[in-house]
Amino acid sequence: MHVRTGLTGPFPRSEALVSATRDLDRGRASAEVVEALYLRTEAEVVALEQRLGLDTVTGGYLRWPDLFRPFAETWEGFTVGPLTRWFETNTFYRQPILHAPPGRIPGAISARLPPPLRADPEHAGVILPGPYTFAGLLENRSGETDEALVHRLGRLLAEETRELAGLGYTTFQFTEPLLVDRPPSGASAEAVLAAYRAIQTSIGRGTSLVWTYGGDANPVFPLLDRLPVSGVGVDLAETDWEAIPSSSEPRGLGLGVIDPRTTLGEDPSEVVRIVRTLQQRRRPSTLWLGPGGPLDLVPWEPAARKLEVLPAVRQALAQRDGGSS
Amino acid sequence: MTRELFPAQEIGSLMKPRWQILGQHGEPLDERARAEFRVENERTHFADAESATAEALLAGRSREVGADAVRDLGALFALGLFETAGLARVYDGEARRIEMYEYPIRQMRGFQFQGHVRSFDNKYYLKAAVTDEVRLERPYHLEEFDFVQAHAHAEPKLPITGPYTLADWSYNEHYLARQRGWKGPSARRSAQREFVVDLAKHAIRPTLAALIEHGCRVIQIDEPAAGTHPDEADLVVEGFNAATEGLDAEFSMHICYSEYRDLLPQLLEAKRCHQWAWEFANRDGDGRDGYEVLKALRDYGDTREVGLGVVDVHRDEVETPERVSDRIQRAARYLGDPSRIWVNPDCGLRTRKLDIATRKLESVVRGAVLARAAFENPRA
Repeated sequence: MHVRTGLTGPFPRSEALVSATRDLDRGRASAEVVEALYLRTEAEVVALEQRLGLDTVTGGYLRWPDLFRPFAETWEGFTVGPLTRWFETNTFYRQPILHAPPGRIPGAISARLPPPLRADPEHAGVILPGPYTFAGLLENRSGETDEALVHRLGRLLAEETRELAGLGYTTFQFTEPLLVDRPPSGASAEAVLAAYRAIQTSIGRGTSLVWTYGGDANPVFPLLDRLPVSGVGVDLAETDWEAIPSSSEPRGLGLGVIDPRTTLGEDPSEVVRIVRTLQQRRRPSTLWLGPGGPLDLVPWEPAARKLEVLPAVRQALAQRDGGSS
Repeated sequence: MTRELFPAQEIGSLMKPRWQILGQHGEPLDERARAEFRVENERTHFADAESATAEALLAGRSREVGADAVRDLGALFALGLFETAGLARVYDGEARRIEMYEYPIRQMRGFQFQGHVRSFDNKYYLKAAVTDEVRLERPYHLEEFDFVQAHAHAEPKLPITGPYTLADWSYNEHYLARQRGWKGPSARRSAQREFVVDLAKHAIRPTLAALIEHGCRVIQIDEPAAGTHPDEADLVVEGFNAATEGLDAEFSMHICYSEYRDLLPQLLEAKRCHQWAWEFANRDGDGRDGYEVLKALRDYGDTREVGLGVVDVHRDEVETPERVSDRIQRAARYLGDPSRIWVNPDCGLRTRKLDIATRKLESVVRGAVLARAAFENPRA
């Protein structure tokens, strides 16, 4: 069994970048100075990811204001709407407003990916919104039904990943907190499956991971198990891990072993115990370990500190597996 | 004591005037700041009692005046603005406060600041972790209350951040670390309960007791985080009850931008909460009735006062007195008792420029006059 580690969402901005971007807004810093700091900080995140032996690098997605903004600002049919609370957190996103059937602009999203990813697409972790979460959190004034919209966004994201795969990107995460917050059923669930069928076809031999967080994944596991993707990820701080169902399918399993809601570090031995139990129960072909959700819910230093658990757990698992990971 | 219907009150902070910001940083006032100062002083005479300070400030001698004296003037300015608008309960517009989290936490032991977290875009807030048992270093807000009490003509009403919000906006390390095993949902909830109750008992309650000792009779406990996790409404209540236990004052609970129905009926278990101060105007309009949720209070048989948000603090458009009056009358119908209504902005008006804030407050008061007339002379 392969064990892979990586970030599953944005990394926090450094204190220096916090100051600089504040100064930019107040007219006290130039765009050139802030751009230089972005580049430096992204390089620091990559250095951290490499030092910890993470399998994908992300550069932290420090420039993305929220998960949807690059799409709402570049795709056809959208405007950027009001500040809206991001699930049960004290952070906010600008709700995309969809006025007409959406259309993607070729090249727009790849140009918005963090520069370190563009420099090394093969090792990049591309983090995108999942079609269900995207459709469910925007304001739909397009006239399309919610189900049709999930399907359409799935097809557009499939075109996006096809373009990115053509540029050499191989690992794609689709972020789907809404799947556990508001589990789909009936036609809605079928639309999710159809969307991911389109996406998986476009990715070909690449890796596709659907990452849920912010709620207990157990009620939605029957659907997660049907998704035609390489693996599904769950947030262990929110999911009753003891109730995660067994599986006979050799699919990938993502485990969010770092709780981004607290600065308290995780105990590696406790994480290893849970991971081993779930390994036996699910028999995953590949195991992805990472933060349960966006690590930018904590500041830079505690975030970096908390990530240290990943290599520790990986090493412990490898020792018990006789080095197979 | 019989009170007239629909008395008006302030609910939170005001935008700081330019002259205060420049002055408290020791910078000389520019022409715009001086003009702002003079216009408002002609209107409310807020600086009459501190004319020497005002003169020095206007003459460009901010450093000589000093930040504390400038903040005093800022507090007088807010009092003047509220009282001239006709509010029956006032405070200082939080003229001495910058925010509602960091300052209270810095008056306590057991916390360590961890760094900044992004709220949205390039906006951030500083966040602390509780790393030891919470204890109060010193009761806070006392001096600002003393100042308000000494200068206010209307009744002072002090706002203070509640224990649930302080806990929710912090990282829970100490109490979570005490939980055994994996820190899943149930462990986190237990740890959060301990944290909220400790904050309430050992930091907020002694502060409230000291404020009451200083003569504070009306206290608004702000719990803006209450709506973030509706399934924790019981923790909001537990914190409120622990913070106010055995204390004699008129307490209210301010919650805004939340789905109130999701917090009911748990919230109604808050003892000693005399008034719910909620936001409604923001959700009223465009075919939506923002006040309908009040029916839920009536359905649950809750008979407490309501601090009714009648103007939206996120829009520049100033509601007409007629619109405010309509909102008040609708709310009174839903509650079934007009005598339980106080009127106020939805939340602090610091989001609006001062001229807009002033006009909105005037509309609150004039709308209340119209609504009062409608109830007292229904055939008029």
